[in-house]
Amino acid sequence: MPTMRAPLSWLKEYADARGSVDEIARQLHMSGTEIDRIERPGGGWDHVWVGRIAALEKHPNADKLQLATVEYGLGRTKTVVTGAMNISAGDVVPYAEVGARLRDGHTDDVAWTTLEPKKMRGIMSEGMVCSAKELGLGEDHEGILILDKALTVGQPLADALGDPVLVAELQPNRPDCMGIVGIARELAAVQRVALHEPKTARLGSELDSKRLTVRIEDAEGCRRFGAAYLENVTIGPAPAWLQERLVAAGMRPIHNAVDITNYVMLELGQPLHAYDADRLTGATLVARRARAGESIKTLDNVDRLLSPDTLVIADAERVLGIAGILGGEDSEIRPTTTRIALEAASFEPRGIDRTAQKLGLSQQSAASARFRLNLSPELVPLALARAVQLLVEHAGATLVGATDVYPKPRPRPNIRLHFSDVPRILGVEIPREESLDALARLGFQYAESGDTLVVTPPAIRTDIGIAEDVVEEIARIVGYDRIPVRIPDGRLPLHERHPLEELREKVRDRLVGFGLQETVSYSLIDPDWLVRLSPGGVPVAAEPLRVQNPTSVAQSAARTTLRASLFDTAARNLKHREGLGIFEIAPVYLPRAGDLPEERWTVAILLAGKAEPQTWLSKTRDWDVYDARGLILGLHKALGVSSARGERSAGAVGLHPGRSVQITVEGRPAVVYGQVDPRVAERWELPVATFVAELDLQILLDDLRPPAAVIPPRFPAALRDVAFVVEEKVPYGDVAAEVRAAAKDVLESVTLLDVYRGPQVGESKKSLALRLVLRSATGTLTDAGVERVVKRIEGRMLHKLSGVLRG
Amino acid sequence: MTGTDDLAELVRRALREIADAPDAAALDAVRVRYLGRKDGEFTRRLKSLATLSATEKPAAGAAINTAKAELEAALAERDRAIRARSLESSFAGDALDLTLPGRPVRLGRMHPISRTIRDITRIFLSMGFEAVEGPEIEWDYYNFEALNIPAGHPARDKFNTLWVAQDSLVAGEVARSADGGGSTRVAPSGRDLGPMLFRTHTSPMQIRTMEQRKPPVRVVVPGRCYRFEATDATHESVFFQYEGLAIDEKLSMADLKGVLYSFARQLFGGERKVRFRPDYFPFTEPSAEIAFDCFVCDGAGVTNTGRCATCAGAGWIEAAGCGMVHPDALRRVGYDPAEHQGFAFGGGVERLAMLLTGTPDIRLFHQNDLRYLETV
Repeated sequence: MPTMRAPLSWLKEYADARGSVDEIARQLHMSGTEIDRIERPGGGWDHVWVGRIAALEKHPNADKLQLATVEYGLGRTKTVVTGAMNISAGDVVPYAEVGARLRDGHTDDVAWTTLEPKKMRGIMSEGMVCSAKELGLGEDHEGILILDKALTVGQPLADALGDPVLVAELQPNRPDCMGIVGIARELAAVQRVALHEPKTARLGSELDSKRLTVRIEDAEGCRRFGAAYLENVTIGPAPAWLQERLVAAGMRPIHNAVDITNYVMLELGQPLHAYDADRLTGATLVARRARAGESIKTLDNVDRLLSPDTLVIADAERVLGIAGILGGEDSEIRPTTTRIALEAASFEPRGIDRTAQKLGLSQQSAASARFRLNLSPELVPLALARAVQLLVEHAGATLVGATDVYPKPRPRPNIRLHFSDVPRILGVEIPREESLDALARLGFQYAESGDTLVVTPPAIRTDIGIAEDVVEEIARIVGYDRIPVRIPDGRLPLHERHPLEELREKVRDRLVGFGLQETVSYSLIDPDWLVRLSPGGVPVAAEPLRVQNPTSVAQSAARTTLRASLFDTAARNLKHREGLGIFEIAPVYLPRAGDLPEERWTVAILLAGKAEPQTWLSKTRDWDVYDARGLILGLHKALGVSSARGERSAGAVGLHPGRSVQITVEGRPAVVYGQVDPRVAERWELPVATFVAELDLQILLDDLRPPAAVIPPRFPAALRDVAFVVEEKVPYGDVAAEVRAAAKDVLESVTLLDVYRGPQVGESKKSLALRLVLRSATGTLTDAGVERVVKRIEGRMLHKLSGVLRG
Repeated sequence: MTGTDDLAELVRRALREIADAPDAAALDAVRVRYLGRKDGEFTRRLKSLATLSATEKPAAGAAINTAKAELEAALAERDRAIRARSLESSFAGDALDLTLPGRPVRLGRMHPISRTIRDITRIFLSMGFEAVEGPEIEWDYYNFEALNIPAGHPARDKFNTLWVAQDSLVAGEVARSADGGGSTRVAPSGRDLGPMLFRTHTSPMQIRTMEQRKPPVRVVVPGRCYRFEATDATHESVFFQYEGLAIDEKLSMADLKGVLYSFARQLFGGERKVRFRPDYFPFTEPSAEIAFDCFVCDGAGVTNTGRCATCAGAGWIEAAGCGMVHPDALRRVGYDPAEHQGFAFGGGVERLAMLLTGTPDIRLFHQNDLRYLETV
């Protein structure tokens, strides 16, 4: 947001403001001019003095450093090392002694640091001479801030320059407040006090074209071009008060002509540019597009080749400056300049913005910071007249004439609204007289008839176009506090259900209930993470969308899996704990041709290291793959997911091939879980005992079944414990399936009690001990009936799996 | 001695012995002595009834049975007393050290962001708002254009945007660039959707919702957002917002204030105050920034221990941007501003989560240090 520094004394020159600076700031803040802070120079400038450079010599050990001997009153002197070259003996400068709080001039860090003695190339520097930036007066760190020689050396700097500064963070729709007068107008309206506009010269007669011709070739880029021609100018320092105000507002004084253009810009918001009129070829100023191959050396001493879409100000032959952004060296005012061509123009904001960005000047140029907002073209003659006034007063200038090219004057909007719009929008009646008074104080003109009000905003405002804008103006000035609190009544909309979101919250609750900690991690990740998820870099997930302008590589890809994020979280946490169980629920972003990516909601669980701590009651143990499986089955059971659809395949990319499973539904991985491939675990600095589970929430939703009530059985159950010996390679799942198939609906449940391997069952065999719960829905099972079922199971096991009932 | 005198004496003796039995074994011996099936006193007496005449038998039998029942009741009573006493005497020896730690329970926790989002949506649900969600990766049109922020608009400065890299789009995707370019995708309004970006706010869902629904509308939209931003204690490049939108015939700024007032009271508790301050958003007019009086210092700016840390001494907590939906935005989705109007608001989830949990640094949320997460 654009920042504007408004010294209090300067504001008070235009508005007869009452109250303390805090009260003024509060009133501005509450009426829409956001005051970020009040800078009280005295508070931040302990140990900073007005000093004079008594002597200046080269640093014996460094070409780019100087030794400055500074006197700062009461006979005190200190020698400091400085890299600044803009100072000379006799200059009055800010001197900071050890203990002063300063900003770092070389970085954008806004923190204040305390000055300490420092050895630079062998010479101890106790204190320093300061730039405006180091004092927090602006961004200028080009050189030391040169102060008015009339200041008393040895005076605290706060006393010399002390004036509280309101630092406003402006909204981009209010370029009029990029001038102090704009803020003063707000203040005067809120406080109901008088506004004194600055004194302006009469621009009078049209300029003789032999002196200066102004032309607009690109009427789209340049909306208005005003110029004044002045002679008998004496270039020299601007008056001290003017320089101080520039400094307080964050600009560096140069000489009276440039200082006055800057001063007027700070007053009114309208940037101006002064040319040495004698150096304009053909006595012409033209706003046009750059021609192929044209270049310019700008005031920042950079040669710039201009692209043909760049709007420039040129004379008859050459480019003088980049319109609205930066002037050129060729035509700049020199100490010997006596005739000035003064430009005030209005440019199309977006073009200025594009060019400033392209040239990398959008931050530095105070002019473009204003022109890129929609400055009113009506400011052009006003600023010109004000600058002429000051040049006459402070540079001995005489006005020869002025000109104003304004091919398509901006139509002033007439906004029609109704007094009833005020309560319609605000929800409260504002008395008619009060509304009109608020508008009048802001400089609006109006005509009223019955309920109808026709409003013309002041010429300097470009942000008012519709009734709502006008109502906001009224509300701002009478105060938003007038809007009451009311609980809305009226119709309630018909709501939809959101099954996926509902399921997501149920899953979240369940996993928390299972004792897992939820994490929320960056959805933008390092694309390299994806490669590191499998031993050979085989992709675990789709190729991600990438960020064109990432803040860092670490956040440059939209994640297509949650696994890497969990690995990263786990690895960092395992540096200070032995184990964890975490989960995240988030979308992954799967690119689609010709459309936004699919945002596929995914649940991912990670278990690593110790599952349980050692206590006096229990031994410690590591997580294992059956924890992961148990969580998935538990989740399914808790949610009411029917037996999983899909194709089950052993092994998944990035996981232990023998200890992982992937279930695919319609070509889409629905569930993946297992132990992380130990090579991958090692790469992420995770323990071998690391397990992941990933579930596709949409498929989980599709498999959801409504609860089906079961009445408690009427007949008793029969329990039978049996054991079958099968080949090692036969999975338990097959055994359980065959038991179910043989027992049919008499089998209520089968539970695996034990798996035994050893000499009693023979080489490469295992014994599975099962507890069968048998129950009939129609009667009590007899012993003979139970025997028949067990026989059937025994027969089927032998036939299908060569399983033998253990006697 | 008559038979009845004899019986009464026997009962008295038995009752005395029952009362005197010190433990379960002694009591059992008494039981056997009197009621034993083979040789008990009463058994013998019942057997001896055979010697009596038919007229004597019923009365004598009834007397014996009554006496027997009396003894049985006394035995049961004494048995209970003995067992109770034995249990009581064992308590001291069976005592366990209950200062020993309990069996650990694995405590799962929701992430504070999830919990805050749930709190926010629950509160707005109670006011008739429906929770809806939208895409995090968006078209320029929904994120900016439709919200009155065309390319080059200075308000885009507020939304430092992360753009989707064109060369990472799936083959078949039309060529697009961050500064416009040929897109063939169009919005229902017929407008070019522009390039793809990471949404900078949840406000695109205002447009998407209105495109799909007719008034009355009341929705709340939580979701992840992105900005090209250097992170510090209060700024994140990936963060969460909540967005609210209500459109009906007469909803005004006062209703907006009321909804946010109710929200503040439910979220922070107590007698909250709300404050509106003028603000600027291109897609609302008038616009406001909402602040709640600090729920820690009740707006005083100071607590017993000095300056209030929660509101930094301001007394107010700025929580959300809001305003009346701009007529242009309404028109763009086919609503008639002459018939329908309403409000929108949007704020940061983390800001509320920080306030509610006392979290001092926004970066803690995404760092997922369990030592922190286990405390909030």
